[in-house]
Amino acid sequence: MGWLKKQLSKELWSPYVAGILLGFVGILAVLLSNALLGASGAFENLAGMIGKAIAPNAFDNLYFNFVMPPGITWGVVLLVGIFFGGMVGAATSRTLKWGKKDASNSDRQWKRIFGPQTWKRWALGFVGAILLEYAAGIAGGCTSGLAISGGMLLVPAAFLFIAGMFASGIITALIIYRNRY
Amino acid sequence: MNYVIALFLGLFFGFSLNKAGLTKYNKIVNQFRFTDMAVLKFMMTALVVAMIGLYGLRGLGLIKFPTVPATYIVGNLAGGLLFGVGMALTGY
Repeated sequence: MGWLKKQLSKELWSPYVAGILLGFVGILAVLLSNALLGASGAFENLAGMIGKAIAPNAFDNLYFNFVMPPGITWGVVLLVGIFFGGMVGAATSRTLKWGKKDASNSDRQWKRIFGPQTWKRWALGFVGAILLEYAAGIAGGCTSGLAISGGMLLVPAAFLFIAGMFASGIITALIIYRNRY
Repeated sequence: MNYVIALFLGLFFGFSLNKAGLTKYNKIVNQFRFTDMAVLKFMMTALVVAMIGLYGLRGLGLIKFPTVPATYIVGNLAGGLLFGVGMALTGY
């Protein structure tokens, strides 16, 4: 018990150990629910729900009727779980910053590169998240839904996606960090 | 029942992400700068473990694979390229 407690209170595990845990989660998802892990699709399900309520005509298309049907899907519930799981993880290592002063912008490296203002972090997060979600829509999944879930079934799409993601990620990081690379 | 499973698995998913440190901006962006390899280590370990488990279980006839994500080269690649930009910008 003491050992387990000590491990749980660590802020960072070896990525290999955490990866093994995720691997088992991926297996269980298929075994128990015949579903794949995915986060970005859930946002589209939710967006479809809101869209159908506000502007039914604009959302009455092939994509929101068949590809990503709106509603509280398995993925939406999974997303809720991910959120609280992350919080539990932070709480066990006492790094949960809910309600604390620098909670919304606490990353030192980010502040060094972009400046200390919190609104900048939120603005960039908003724009970047639009990019992420739109890209996930084009590709058919995000890091979890396509790269990991697809990869574990050896789907070619997943490896194409990973290649693209790294190619442009490296270039973007190069541009942002320039000589600080 | 399916929803209970989803919630439960989600909890572990989020927990493992947090413990690997992937909920932090610097971990994600430093992967692209190759100064911190946590993302790749985490992803590839998960892939290998799940691959072995899933193909093993299918070999035993215990599971059938769910509908796999479709492969269409242009879409997957273009999506990946755009995704990387967003990922390196936001660190999510």
